[in-house]
Amino acid sequence: MKKWAEVALGVVTSIGGFLEVGSIATSAQGGAEFGYQLAWVLVLGTMSLAILMEMTGRLAAVSQRTYADLLRERFGYRFFLLPLVAVFVVSLLVVISEIGGVSIALQIATGIDFRWWAIPTAIVGWFLLWRGNFTIVEQGTAMLGLVAISFAVGALKLHPVWPTLGRAMLPSLPSHDRARYWYLAVSILGASISPYLYLFYSAGAIEDEWTIEHLGVNRVTAGMGNVFGGGLAIATLVTAALVLAPREIKVDRYEQIALVLATPLGRAGLVFFIMTLFITCFGATLEIVLAMAYLLAQGLGWNWSENLKPDKDARFATSYSVLILLAALPIAIGMDPLTLTNISMVATAASLPVTVIPLFVLMNDGDLLNTHVNGWPSNLALVVIALLSIVLLVAALPLQLLGGG
Amino acid sequence: MGALHLSHDVIDAQLVDRQQEKIGRIDELLLELEDGQPPRVATIVIGGVARARRVGRWMLALHRAVHALFGHREEQESRVPFDAVRRIADTIELDVEGDALASMRLERWLATHIVLRIPGGSGERK
Repeated sequence: MKKWAEVALGVVTSIGGFLEVGSIATSAQGGAEFGYQLAWVLVLGTMSLAILMEMTGRLAAVSQRTYADLLRERFGYRFFLLPLVAVFVVSLLVVISEIGGVSIALQIATGIDFRWWAIPTAIVGWFLLWRGNFTIVEQGTAMLGLVAISFAVGALKLHPVWPTLGRAMLPSLPSHDRARYWYLAVSILGASISPYLYLFYSAGAIEDEWTIEHLGVNRVTAGMGNVFGGGLAIATLVTAALVLAPREIKVDRYEQIALVLATPLGRAGLVFFIMTLFITCFGATLEIVLAMAYLLAQGLGWNWSENLKPDKDARFATSYSVLILLAALPIAIGMDPLTLTNISMVATAASLPVTVIPLFVLMNDGDLLNTHVNGWPSNLALVVIALLSIVLLVAALPLQLLGGG
Repeated sequence: MGALHLSHDVIDAQLVDRQQEKIGRIDELLLELEDGQPPRVATIVIGGVARARRVGRWMLALHRAVHALFGHREEQESRVPFDAVRRIADTIELDVEGDALASMRLERWLATHIVLRIPGGSGERK
């Protein structure tokens, strides 16, 4: 019984964790500009993330070590600097965008300019990290994040054309604006497959004291959670395709995305949109700064746990405190959250090889995983994701220049 | 247990002290050379300088510059004799007191000067 409670909780966690500023913005842009056509990218991104999460979760549950810990130990400090720096740069961009998302939600709700909300958001977030424990951060944001289901309700009320949507699950070439299409494809992949997600998940497996007994929970959490989470992202794309595309509204401000729920659901839709944007971005803010602090602490061998009082892991606690306050500054001085979101999603996509490729080595290490090493299907999937990540790295900058505007 | 691979199992491994508290990683490992004796693994080095040295001269310069900026004069580096190793498993246990290590100075400083001055910084498990 307890196990099923854990499974349910895990699934809820990944639903709440999946939708955040990046996937809301990029899915809405994709739907507004290309209708259902980019849905296949969400399918690809969601499947890739599910596979990466299952693997890092399995690695942690069996070896009792986090992915960041093993990145340092097995690949050495020189190599470790690569994922450390890459993940820090992109995660900082993403967390700034998330604080931007929270601030925009508050601006729409109150009418007070988003810049004023960045620092208070960071302070409240810091307080929760300082006083709260892992369970509060993980489950609190996940439970509240269920409000994102309103996107699915909105999509259903708009009566999508199912056969067309079904066909969009398979890749197709654009009939217009090729550079923009591929740019959005890369952004959507960057929003779906974020390194912070699997670094956080792998540290979470240790925080939640997972053992080999939890491999089933891990599989269901990574699989089902992402099916639901990805489903909500597709619902966002569908609502944008049905609300924004016919009116030829291209998303260049967050307020426009509010229309996608206000149209099918009326005033309640606007409220749900604000709540979804607020909660999911706030939850992601906490998870990203924790993921960065985990990476740093585990890589350098410091004491770390969100379940310890800060004086027991002073460097870890100081790290997330400094990071969350630092991330509020660009928004406080008025950087545009949406522009930042788009740049950070493309940067995330480009950063993937350094955290995806080493996983292949670790997942085939019998000393760490015994009989739970990857079989050939998992290895094949991981090779495909690794190749995809290399394509993203190469394509990111040219597409940012050609299709970013 | 049979042979251990220094670069695979020992260098970069997580270190814990007598109380099983995490105290950093093996950032460098020194061999001791004595006349007429074969070289032997003698010293574990923990600290940012050692890590920077492994990356290259520019990193070392960067590291020094950052520390100079904060007005540090002493190297925050610990050298522990390899004889202090008590156990080698997923982590390596050293027969030392973590709090006494120079490489833990920042941890101690942050704990006493910052963390403990903020409400909720100390106490039992959250």
